[in-house]
Amino acid sequence: MEFFSQLFITGILVGSIYALVALGWTLIYKCSGVLNLAMGELTLIGAYVCLSFYNWGIPFILALIFTLGVGFALGLLTEHLFLRPMVGEPVLSVIMVTVGLSFFFKGVVELIWGTDTVVFTPMVFPMEPIFIGKIVVGQVYLWAFVASIILLLAFVTFFKYTKWGLSMQATADDEMAALSLGVNAKIVYALAWAIAFMAAGVGGTLLGNINGLNISVGYLGLLVLPAVVLGGLNSVPGAIVGGLVIGVIQNLADGYLSRYTPGGVKEVFPFAVMVIVLLFKPYGLWGWVRIERV
Amino acid sequence: MGYRPCGVYHQYYSQDHAWWQTKFVWGKMILLFITIFYLFPKFAGLYYISVANVIGYTILSAMGVQLLIGYCGQVTLGHSAFLAVGAYTCTLLMLQLHLPYPIAMILGGIAGGLWCVLFGLPSARVKGFYLIMTTMAAQFITVEFLITQYVSQIGGRGVAFSIPPGTVKIGPWVIQSDREVYYVMLALVLICILMLSNLLRSKIGRAWIAIRDNDIAAEALGVNIVLYKLLAFFVAGFFGGIAGAFWVSSLAAVSPEHFHFGWSLWLVGVILIGGTGSIHGIIFGAMFMTLIPEGLKALIFLLTQNPFLVELMPFLPLLLEKFLFVKEAVFGLSIALFLIFEPNGISYRWWQIKNYFNLWPFSY
Repeated sequence: MEFFSQLFITGILVGSIYALVALGWTLIYKCSGVLNLAMGELTLIGAYVCLSFYNWGIPFILALIFTLGVGFALGLLTEHLFLRPMVGEPVLSVIMVTVGLSFFFKGVVELIWGTDTVVFTPMVFPMEPIFIGKIVVGQVYLWAFVASIILLLAFVTFFKYTKWGLSMQATADDEMAALSLGVNAKIVYALAWAIAFMAAGVGGTLLGNINGLNISVGYLGLLVLPAVVLGGLNSVPGAIVGGLVIGVIQNLADGYLSRYTPGGVKEVFPFAVMVIVLLFKPYGLWGWVRIERV
Repeated sequence: MGYRPCGVYHQYYSQDHAWWQTKFVWGKMILLFITIFYLFPKFAGLYYISVANVIGYTILSAMGVQLLIGYCGQVTLGHSAFLAVGAYTCTLLMLQLHLPYPIAMILGGIAGGLWCVLFGLPSARVKGFYLIMTTMAAQFITVEFLITQYVSQIGGRGVAFSIPPGTVKIGPWVIQSDREVYYVMLALVLICILMLSNLLRSKIGRAWIAIRDNDIAAEALGVNIVLYKLLAFFVAGFFGGIAGAFWVSSLAAVSPEHFHFGWSLWLVGVILIGGTGSIHGIIFGAMFMTLIPEGLKALIFLLTQNPFLVELMPFLPLLLEKFLFVKEAVFGLSIALFLIFEPNGISYRWWQIKNYFNLWPFSY
């Protein structure tokens, strides 16, 4: 039981990071209908940018805030250069543009920062674990959890109470109606990408703090895909729950199944779960069921 | 087949169905065949032949992707999983059971096809993005997990299966040098293109195209959607398996790194740049995607030879050193730009150019 709750808690803590990145993903999909496969590389860019700031001697919190700023700018730029011309094109083309972007970003990241694993030195979070009852939790995980929750709350508040957040919700709900009420769809799309970049950047930074930073952090960013599929593509609460569930499932699989296999269960299990979910519940937990007509 | 020059009248259906309908096309094709079968291998250096082999491999691998995406509308982002299944089946059959290469290759193709059907099963229920997710899962489950962790253990050879020289042979011929691989490649590419294009003009191909254009309408017209989708997955996986088994012949060792996720995406990029829904598209896309990076590499290499330019741009030697990443970035950028500025791909341009000359001097 102890073992289980240990795995469970760690899963929740890591899952909160996935939830944050998944939120950014869902946002893009809801607002502009773009299925973004470059999410892993967005996390990568954010993490490396933050690391560079940190290495210049900027305090971590400030570096994180700067990363948010850079993410915002990059998001606006990406949307303007690559996604704006694709409005109204077939879904596959748009997906493949994001795939192209993912290759491009990955290549650029590897060119600039190389492929070796780098760590945040000096350590941002102290090494000593914290004991909750009998459960041991690394401080990194705890702080990552806190940071993700703060950002999640901030984003949710933004959607609920600000003008731009409300117009994003309106566009997501019915683009035509929103346009007729004077919502500027261009700004909404740009904002969605900016927020996704910001969320992914923070997520990447936190993931990079846990295990060190290399290209495989981009793979962790890909884990948002099972998360959003589980929650349903166009549901923000679904993305958050999906992220948490994927975190927990991944950790449980690692704890219980990896002794029966040579390894690699942790990486594959979320995808296997995703396939099974798709077979039985094709639209996820809270996704909109699409009724198709000729 | 559309266009025919004036003055050519057909009297039999067989003339209408012929691939090469006029003397001019016959002449053109014979010239092409002489070039690829005789002139090119005779006069080209080993480097060019190895580049041609890579192009051929890309064509073979992209064929299944083109079938699924371009003709049946089922997006696949995990095709190198099926390549890997084909390659590993073929290698294992040769190494463990000592089957001859052609039989192992065909069995590898069938294994790839069946494995592809397994991951195509969700296509009965889901489509679009959700299907993309399942094919992606196929990539991770097959290559990163099953093959890396389990299949590689068979026979205790370590992660990479090294292929002793002389294993790959067709009858008495040992396939070893690039030149021999080149001929195998040519034969396979021709056979596969013939199979694919003949399938596409049969009932099966028409059903696939109907599913691509509107699956609900196709179902209403009596096309058994699930059956034909699964058939498309099987044929695509079969081509993938053949491609993987072919590539075994030019590898010293088969290892999971040859079939990573990036290669799956690369294949989709190939057909998007070449043009979806066109067999020419596969060939043009494969040539573009292979020749552009090679050309770029040669260009950077030439530039680094010039000390003045290196002084002007001190990052040049670094670019050569990290060329893999430059290639990745250029590939990504070219996919994005192609989709934005030339969404119909190269084959559409080719068609336009051909039409221009066919209709010359009148533009209508």
